[in-house]
Amino acid sequence: MSNLAQMLQTAGSSIEADDDFDAINALMREKGWSDGLPIVPPTEARVAAMLAYCDRPFDQPIAKIAPRWGEATPLRLAANAVMAGCQPRYFPLYMLAIEAMCEEPLNLYGVQATTHLCAPLVIVNGPVARELDINCGHNAFGPGHQANASIGRAIRLALVNIGGAIPALGDMSTFGSPAKYSYLVAENEAESPWQPLHVDRGFPAEASAVTVIGAECPHNVNDHESLDGEGVLMTIAGTMGIAGSNDIYYQAQPLVIMGPEHAKAVAASFSKDDARRFLQQHAHLTVSKLSRDNIERRVRVTFKDRLANPRPDDLIYAVQRPEDLLIAVIGGAGKHSAFVPTFGATLPVTRALKTVDGRLAKSVEDFRRG
Amino acid sequence: MNQKVRLVVPEAPSPQAVAETKVRAVAKGGIRLGVLDNSKGNADHLLRFIVDGVKALMPVASVVSLRKDSVSLPAPEAILDQLAAESDYVITAMAD
Repeated sequence: MSNLAQMLQTAGSSIEADDDFDAINALMREKGWSDGLPIVPPTEARVAAMLAYCDRPFDQPIAKIAPRWGEATPLRLAANAVMAGCQPRYFPLYMLAIEAMCEEPLNLYGVQATTHLCAPLVIVNGPVARELDINCGHNAFGPGHQANASIGRAIRLALVNIGGAIPALGDMSTFGSPAKYSYLVAENEAESPWQPLHVDRGFPAEASAVTVIGAECPHNVNDHESLDGEGVLMTIAGTMGIAGSNDIYYQAQPLVIMGPEHAKAVAASFSKDDARRFLQQHAHLTVSKLSRDNIERRVRVTFKDRLANPRPDDLIYAVQRPEDLLIAVIGGAGKHSAFVPTFGATLPVTRALKTVDGRLAKSVEDFRRG
Repeated sequence: MNQKVRLVVPEAPSPQAVAETKVRAVAKGGIRLGVLDNSKGNADHLLRFIVDGVKALMPVASVVSLRKDSVSLPAPEAILDQLAAESDYVITAMAD
């Protein structure tokens, strides 16, 4: 069904409130439908404008969001997108990100409910990233761009309002994370010396796509001194071997983000596959960096084939196989890269933006009704 | 007095958690108890205490104890199938 007025007659689909910004925000906080920041009231008119960019039936779930397994209908998603401050033309990409993160390999139930501080990171590739002006350059993970801020925020609101990731109820994260407010960027394809991330993941270059990763915040890798690619990779590898990381105990697929300057230095002597192999071989820590109890209770259990009786100088790898490492080029000028560890029990999911009839979308205008 | 405005509800209701119930034919020798250890540290100790407690309250014919490899991933189908086949009731637990 795509008749909004008729749908809002259904019990539980709408509420009446005083037409006052402060009163509406107070109501939203009281209901628990807020991330703590003021929201844009999801009036029928604003939701209708958002749904003008939806080519699906408004009441048919596109996914069920864990841990509550709430049904993510376009109608509910549109309300959350309005609340977050999205422009209507962002809506197709927002729906795609929600669909991707609900695919089984991501293990959204675990990502949402864990005591770990992970959040779904969305990396956007392709022409729609440019069309929507999603920041991929300076301060890409920071403030300043409406698309990054509001689509990321709309995702979090849906994870809470539809998925039930309510702090201390459905989201048991010990610390939470600033990434739980908004965590969406684009890859800096124009300044990358390599093919884009979504092409690495098997999609055509002309596709627009999202890659979702159950991720920690980026950890900076400062290297202003290395004069060649191997030096930069050594510094990145040295940053990846972390004793407290979930990734070392799983066949995880963490992310290395190279700033464009580092990427160009590396690409002068390494293909992306060569860089993956180098990082896998050199990103490790010795058993001696772990506590006695961790060695006894995790290392000897997890690596029972290789490290049943580990010696202090035995190696534990940050990534088990080269092909498990994701590499993307993001950011502006500066000799920095970043390492993004994951929840461990999660795998990245990439999904292309397609219209309801299965065609690769060239533009968000492909989704516009009427 | 303020005018009223209609807002679209952003929330999805919880699915009605109506568990399927049926009367189980429990053998005279007692219940068949299943135990799923989620592999969290000390889950095994906690579950052992619970099993001992159940045994003190009622006859227990058998106990099948299985363990997930990861606390963060769902139990594999094979484990769930075995628990369904060999248990009248299943206990799982967190610990640490």
